[in-house]
Amino acid sequence: MSGYEKPSRGWGFCALSPVLLSLLMAAPLGLLGEETRQVSLKVISNRLDFSQNLLHIRAVGTNSTLHYVWSSLGPPAVLLVATNTPNSTLSVNWSLLLSSDPDGGLMVLPEESIQFSSALVFTRLFEFDSTNMSDAASRPLGKSYPPYSLANFSWNNITDSLDPATLSATFRGHPIRDPTGAFTNGSLAFRVQAFSTSGRPAQPPRLLHSADTCQLEVALVGASPRGNRSLFGLEVATLGQGPGCPSMQEQHSIDDEYTPAVFQLDQLLWGSLPSGFMQWRPVAFSQKRGSRDSAMPCQSSPLHPTLAYLLPQSPIVRAFFKTQDHSCAFNLTFGASTGPGYWDQHYLSWSVLLGVGTPPVDALSPLVLGIMAVALGAPALMLLAGGLFLLLGRKRDSEYQSIN
Amino acid sequence: MEDEEEEARALLPGGSDEAGRETRAPPAASGALQALCDPSHLAHRLVVLLLMCFLGFGSYFCYDNPAALQIQVKRDMQVNTTKFMLLYAWYSWPNVVLCFFGGFLIDRVFGIRWGTIIFSCFVCIGQVVFALGGIFNAFWLMELGRFVFGIGGESLAVAQNTYAVSWFKGKELNLVFGLQLSMARIGSTVNMNLMGWLYSKVEASLGSAGHTTLGVTLMIGGITCILSLVCALALAYLDQRAERILHKEQGKTGEVIKLTDVKDFSLPLWLIFIICVCYYVAIFPFIGLVKVFFTEKFGFSSQAASAINSVVYVISAPMSPIFGLLVDKTGKNIIWVLCAVVTTLASHIMLAFTLWNPWIAMCLLGLSYSLLACALWPMVAFVVPEHQLGTAYGFMQSIQNLGLAVISIIAGMILDTRGYLFLEVFFIACVSLSLLSVVLLYMVNHAQGGNLNYSAKKREEMKLSHEE
Repeated sequence: MSGYEKPSRGWGFCALSPVLLSLLMAAPLGLLGEETRQVSLKVISNRLDFSQNLLHIRAVGTNSTLHYVWSSLGPPAVLLVATNTPNSTLSVNWSLLLSSDPDGGLMVLPEESIQFSSALVFTRLFEFDSTNMSDAASRPLGKSYPPYSLANFSWNNITDSLDPATLSATFRGHPIRDPTGAFTNGSLAFRVQAFSTSGRPAQPPRLLHSADTCQLEVALVGASPRGNRSLFGLEVATLGQGPGCPSMQEQHSIDDEYTPAVFQLDQLLWGSLPSGFMQWRPVAFSQKRGSRDSAMPCQSSPLHPTLAYLLPQSPIVRAFFKTQDHSCAFNLTFGASTGPGYWDQHYLSWSVLLGVGTPPVDALSPLVLGIMAVALGAPALMLLAGGLFLLLGRKRDSEYQSIN
Repeated sequence: MEDEEEEARALLPGGSDEAGRETRAPPAASGALQALCDPSHLAHRLVVLLLMCFLGFGSYFCYDNPAALQIQVKRDMQVNTTKFMLLYAWYSWPNVVLCFFGGFLIDRVFGIRWGTIIFSCFVCIGQVVFALGGIFNAFWLMELGRFVFGIGGESLAVAQNTYAVSWFKGKELNLVFGLQLSMARIGSTVNMNLMGWLYSKVEASLGSAGHTTLGVTLMIGGITCILSLVCALALAYLDQRAERILHKEQGKTGEVIKLTDVKDFSLPLWLIFIICVCYYVAIFPFIGLVKVFFTEKFGFSSQAASAINSVVYVISAPMSPIFGLLVDKTGKNIIWVLCAVVTTLASHIMLAFTLWNPWIAMCLLGLSYSLLACALWPMVAFVVPEHQLGTAYGFMQSIQNLGLAVISIIAGMILDTRGYLFLEVFFIACVSLSLLSVVLLYMVNHAQGGNLNYSAKKREEMKLSHEE
């Protein structure tokens, strides 16, 4: 795992609290807060058609297993399943999964060990024209072009991009029918990466990950925009729980050390903690080497309930969740009318962390704490020494005087 | 300045508004006109004061143009923060050397009048080149412009002070210095709040944002430099006229710089230098970079961020004379410096580690910055013999500029790679080093029985006993 920073455990109160918190909460659920996990990536192919396959990430801890099932059947989608046994398994029945009623085509066994499950579906790619937008924050956005439905994309064979060393794989797709030729030299990529321990990647936005999470990087590369200053957006759908939708949180922090000038962390939580979560910094990058010069704001709309049949359907979601009465969706918009944008280099990337349990919490880095300790400690010591020096000096003066 | 004019008019017998504004006054106001034209009269000196104040306005207005247009410069010129901060570094580089020669050039080479005009020209040309860099989309040209601007800027301040001494010595000198300083701060404040608005107006009339818009905006900002040049010309004329009528000598800085004096500098003086450098590097580069910090961390609008960025200068304008008086009356310079440095440290810590409203921290910063200037700079005079004073001040300004140039670049790099929190921690470390030096200075001064921390009363007594 070269290129990754070691976790900063044992430094300061901030670093400890999430670990402690998750340990405390792990007791009843028995599936959370594992320090390290045995992570395996496996491609499950349809024996009849090798172009149809699923990516199964299985993260085994001492007394729990997390399953992430990524699929490009229909729109790109992921299932998150957490079980309280290290022995749970995924079973796929391809003929059932591909049928019109896929119910039961995909199961995690034993079923009673399932503690949490949910799904995300990436349904559409939006494109807007930003030329006549007066302000970045103004809504509605400028003229919008017809969206690309990701269900009508054709995707590469995931087996080729599987990298067991970095525990990553990439789904790369382009529209099946592309009359304008926008995607002739371009593609939309979903890079999935799992982690066996906690740490932080070297590439911005440098989200802190743990063994309970995996990271998704969505990258739009080389596609010709339909306007001079096109903004892109992504529609994300998830399952509602009961009548409501998962909650969206915006956390403000003082710490921007890992993503310069971004002081906000957005989270989507599927229920009261600990449960599933989605966590991202509201920033996207217009260059491969993401830096502050290429940082674009990323705005997210509130979650709104929507009827499931209005959205493109993912077979794995329908197969796993037998009854799927309503979905919730939200939109992400990358960039603003001014500043860096997709138009610079025809590149856009955005990263998000998916996981189960307590979301990772950033702590002040050891370097910051160290500098602060020295910067405040040294003058304080000096003042103390100075005070003593004065007191003693005065005392000696008075002694001399008494002798005189 | 309005008040000054009012006052002047009130002093004039039968003074009227026209007298102040029109050159051809009606016969009824001829007395007032006479007063205005008589170099020995107060009214005439007030006109000169007005010109002196506006002499520095242009250079202070344009110095912080990059800070006011940080987002626009970085976007339109497509530069990162490190390169952006080079605009400040290039201003400081020439002054590392020129601080020693500004006084010499004015006294021996150009004379005060030509010196002022020449330095004003440098400021104007520098700003124009800076703006052309924007219009032609050439960042190196912008850097060159800032370099030329820097050659004029600091030396112009020396010339301004020389004029003040020459016209007001033994009269209202301290007040005049205070007013000049206030005017400088007003120039910075107006810049911070005006340039963003000006840019949006230019953008609206040109139809789009871009390097041309930036260049045109900066060119319009350069009008203030032309104004300053006009003031320099007017002052030169009035000064020459006064010399003819009153047989007044041409003003001299009286600075004698002997670089060999440096080896005689005492430990307290070196500590004062360290305090100065470490303190100012946590102020000026900070102000140059902090606008985006307010919009991103605290969610301020661009306008509000400009306003809060200028609050340090706004507070400094009225508080500098007040603190000056306070320090004069009480003495105890080291304690005041200590207070100022600790307050600055506290406000940086607030900005870094809390989400409290930044107005609190910035107001504290404004207060401490004004207090430090009033307490620190006069200390040099206590630890240096009078004949070395010029060298000591020149050296202090020189290393301050060196510090600013280097730290500006480092601050930009830190911001690009590590973000604002780390940048603030870096500034905290700088201020902390400054604080360490203050405490050391206190101890050294105490051990050597120095006079830095005497109260004003004790200083008076010492002076009297010395005279006896």
